[in-house]
Amino acid sequence: MTGVRKSFGAFRALDDASLDVRWGEVHAILGENGAGKSTLMNVAAGLYSADAGTLLIDGVACVFSDPRDAIAHGVGMIHQHFKLVNRFNAVENVMLASPRGSYRRGLAEVGRDIKRHADALGFSINLDQPVGLLSIAEQQRIEIVKALVAGARILILDEPTAVLADDEAAKLLQTVNNLARSGIAAVLVTHKLRDVQAFSDRVTVMRAGHTIATLDPRAISSDELTTLAVGSKIVPPSRRGHTSGTDRLIVRGLSYGPQRRPRLHDVSFSVRSGEIYGIAGVGGNGQTELTDILGGVRKPVAGTIELMQPSGACVDLTSSGPRGRIDSGFATVPADRHGQAIASSVSVAENYAIAHVHKGRFGPWWFVNRASIRDVASSAVREADVQGVRSVFQRIGLLSGGNTQKLVTAREFSRMPSTIIVHSPSRGLDVRACAAIHHRLLAARDNGVAVVLISEDLDEVLSLSDRIGVMTAGKIVAEFDAPADRQAIGRAMVGHA
Amino acid sequence: MPFWAGGLISLSAVLLGLIISAAILALAGVAPSSLLTEFVSAVADPQSLRAVLNQSAPLILVGIAASIAFRARFWNLGLEGQMIMGGIAATAISLGKVGSDDARIGLMALAALVAGMAWVAIPLVLKVLLRINEIITTLLLNYVAQYALYDLLFGAWKDPADSFPHAAPFSAAERLPVIAGWLQYGMVVALVIVLLAFWLLQVSRAGFYLRFIHANAVMADHMGVQTVRIVGTVVLASGAVAGLAGFVIPSGMEGRLTQGFFEGYGFSGVLIAFLAQSNPLAAGIVAVLVATLFVVGQSLQIFYQIPFAMVQLIQAIIVMCVAGADFFVRHRLILQR
Amino acid sequence: MQDLLITWIASIPSLALPYALASVGLIISERAGVLSLGAEGLMLVGALAGVGAFILTDGSGLVAMLASMVSAGIVSLLFAGLVVALRVNQVIAGLAIVFFCQGLTNLIGTLVSWQNQAVAGIPVLSLGPLADLPIVGPVLFRHDILVYLLVPICWAVHYFLTSTDVGLRLRAVGENPAAADAAGISVIGTRVAAIAAGATLIGLAGGYLSVVSAKIWIAGMTSGRGWIAVALVIFARWKPMQALAGAFLFGGIEALIPQLNAAGVKLPQYYLVMTPYLATLAVMIWQALGTRPASEAPAALGQPYVREERT
Repeated sequence: MTGVRKSFGAFRALDDASLDVRWGEVHAILGENGAGKSTLMNVAAGLYSADAGTLLIDGVACVFSDPRDAIAHGVGMIHQHFKLVNRFNAVENVMLASPRGSYRRGLAEVGRDIKRHADALGFSINLDQPVGLLSIAEQQRIEIVKALVAGARILILDEPTAVLADDEAAKLLQTVNNLARSGIAAVLVTHKLRDVQAFSDRVTVMRAGHTIATLDPRAISSDELTTLAVGSKIVPPSRRGHTSGTDRLIVRGLSYGPQRRPRLHDVSFSVRSGEIYGIAGVGGNGQTELTDILGGVRKPVAGTIELMQPSGACVDLTSSGPRGRIDSGFATVPADRHGQAIASSVSVAENYAIAHVHKGRFGPWWFVNRASIRDVASSAVREADVQGVRSVFQRIGLLSGGNTQKLVTAREFSRMPSTIIVHSPSRGLDVRACAAIHHRLLAARDNGVAVVLISEDLDEVLSLSDRIGVMTAGKIVAEFDAPADRQAIGRAMVGHA
Repeated sequence: MPFWAGGLISLSAVLLGLIISAAILALAGVAPSSLLTEFVSAVADPQSLRAVLNQSAPLILVGIAASIAFRARFWNLGLEGQMIMGGIAATAISLGKVGSDDARIGLMALAALVAGMAWVAIPLVLKVLLRINEIITTLLLNYVAQYALYDLLFGAWKDPADSFPHAAPFSAAERLPVIAGWLQYGMVVALVIVLLAFWLLQVSRAGFYLRFIHANAVMADHMGVQTVRIVGTVVLASGAVAGLAGFVIPSGMEGRLTQGFFEGYGFSGVLIAFLAQSNPLAAGIVAVLVATLFVVGQSLQIFYQIPFAMVQLIQAIIVMCVAGADFFVRHRLILQR
Repeated sequence: MQDLLITWIASIPSLALPYALASVGLIISERAGVLSLGAEGLMLVGALAGVGAFILTDGSGLVAMLASMVSAGIVSLLFAGLVVALRVNQVIAGLAIVFFCQGLTNLIGTLVSWQNQAVAGIPVLSLGPLADLPIVGPVLFRHDILVYLLVPICWAVHYFLTSTDVGLRLRAVGENPAAADAAGISVIGTRVAAIAAGATLIGLAGGYLSVVSAKIWIAGMTSGRGWIAVALVIFARWKPMQALAGAFLFGGIEALIPQLNAAGVKLPQYYLVMTPYLATLAVMIWQALGTRPASEAPAALGQPYVREERT
């Protein structure tokens, strides 16, 4: 691909980007969130049409009008969010992309084709269960086979290891390498340095829509690679030694979900004031349910949540709703920013102000003072360095992910909480915004706040936490003190899968 | 795009809708020029202007009722049923001669409010407790209310004087007074409701929370907003206002409870709320425009034998044009993927 | 007593047919992810077109039924244009279509004087000696041809949805349009086709109602059957054969009213007429009270699909 340009409205996603992949190689595209990697690959897979640029396969120029066209030319993509119909089983899903004419005959044929590819790659696929009930790793394997059955010879994988535990990720990347050895050209879109260095033959670094360089990942150091991807050296926030206080948040025996397959099973942990307790684990192991329960939006089937107030009194929060939590000095930053933390079509100012309206900060019940909201929100926006706000009364949905997160975090901290739960705070954020959030969390911890950090990004958990709990299949299976052994954590994550 | 461009597009959409309607009417034998004169005379002639204003009152009320319910993400399509129940309740007070002559009209209005509230409470409870979608339940209850009305009007409440299916006429004390010889009191009621709705949605704290509930109810819950309480209150208020409309028509306009007094108001309410984007002040203005349409429709019926259903058709065409045009407001048209 | 029972049961299929066809038509479009609230309006269009064609062709039942199917299909394209191309909120568009159709049919019916004209309807096809069997005869073998076709039609839709390639693709569009799009299926094309196909059945339901059941056109004659059909689809969990069963239930209730009157049971007339609506409410409540693990609705029902969404 050469000279590819793509803009979404005023936003320049790709600026003269190029890529050159050889048959039989694993080619990684490295860049931070927002660099344009996915956009470039969406163009290659026929989902987007580029504003300018060319795409050559074996020297022949191609322009894809839709994904089906791309697949017909042998280009298949496995997206971060799988394009699978949860209610259908594996065979039906694969047949969607490779229709065979007759229904029953097609099902049999496709079933055989799936087995063939799966056997060649060394794994087995459950053909009868609805795909929605299978594990993420298995769904991903179905996606790969789906592309292969449809005739893909160029396979693009978008952030494939984002949702996998360390060892499942290794298995996947090994599979990709096997595919490459059989002649397939594999493109690996990722922001994980480790994956690039261990599993790819060449890497193209992208930043802000531009292609920066293409090189052999083994010929360059990690630091240099990071600098290329980010543009400057990023100093990770330093964690000063600290003394944590007494227990602040005590969670005992939390259970949630149906009897036979509970989403949370007997979860217990405690967090002290002035401490960051990190919960590590691959997504889908109960983290979302835990955040929801801690935030008061879901009620646990069993267990208690207690908050020790500075005064020494113990408040049982188990059955109080969000209002009760907030009044007790609790704050939550959920993972699903747009779904749970903001109302996209409402203004920035009001999204900030809602944290304090009920206390009467902006007027009595019969009158809400807009001018006061404007002033308070404006200064908050300035303090938190939220970019892209032309007027505090514009829709908050127009802000980028990073800026939205800055505002949400600022709002939650403005409550002066004694305890804060953050779930995947840096998901989808570029490195700079990431660093800002991390600084905030460390500052809060230094100020005596009890912080619960739930994240699927093991690096994030390792760099910030004072203590780490590993969550697998709805249970806290192990706890570690910092500095923690990554291997041990990895073992704990899969030990109970 | 500049903020006024959206309004301009919507306005052109309304115009397009009217043009299409005019074309259909031309096919039905009404020349466009006569149509234009009808519209002009509707507002120019003082007699029709008074009719327009009188017609506006119940339309404003249903428009407000629909608007506040929509702001709570509750599709209150049962406006007609709530009106009917309001009318029935008010008539019951009148026929039962409850209370003194002076107090009765107030009691009638109150009864109508309560009846409308009670009728919307059924689908509200079903939604809150059992998560049953309110679109079908509110619509079905319209039919139930309608047949309950017929049962009364053809049976126990049939006017003994002329044996027509309408109730006995209200006494003078039970009619809404006329101010300064020309302005129906119903209009005053409507204006008060508009101001109350404006206060509720734009000024009060409940309105502040409602914006979040409307935009993202999950987020509102996370923020500790008492969603159920606020939505419940607003929806009950919506039913009450619709019930009030069911009182204003018999008491202010027709003088008695009739068979078809509610017809057409259900969709008109939805239309007004939609065109006004659930803004109470805009709803008031749009309601007056719809009232003009109603008056024009009535004279089309009398002079050109066009059935009153034409008004419904015109309203539907306008809604479709405006709804379709919204696409161009939200998206700049890029002719590629 | 026994005669009344037989008469009652024999009259059920004819009354169930409009509910069944309308629900099955709705199922087709809802399985593709489009919430079609316009059924009430499309039924009216079919009803008017059926009577009109019958009058114009001097009594051709076939043409009348075809006309009702085609006319509803054409009007549904208007709805399809609004919700699929212009991404209008499906509830608003559905309501607008209903009121558009109500106004339009009322207008045309009056202007062309098709209303209040009795038509002869479709002849009853007695299946020879079978029709003379005691009990079973009138119940099963003395109906018009559309009733005989009812079960095959419903079953054909069921087969189409579950056991054909095209049906699989349609369901994929309704469950996960992004996945269908990535597989190269045209989401827009599928949805428009589903809307139109469903509309033909809904129109047929309306045509049957006016030409065969009532043998007359009166403005607004569907009286909410379209809304009941929408509720029926939910009750039937989007499965055609279950919708058929539900339709028979409602047909049974509707058929009960004249039989009760004939039996001399004195019930307030208008409260009897209310029964289908109250029954629908009861059914919705009963279903909501039942414990169902997950929603059976097509996952993407009611949501417009846009490929490149940036907030």
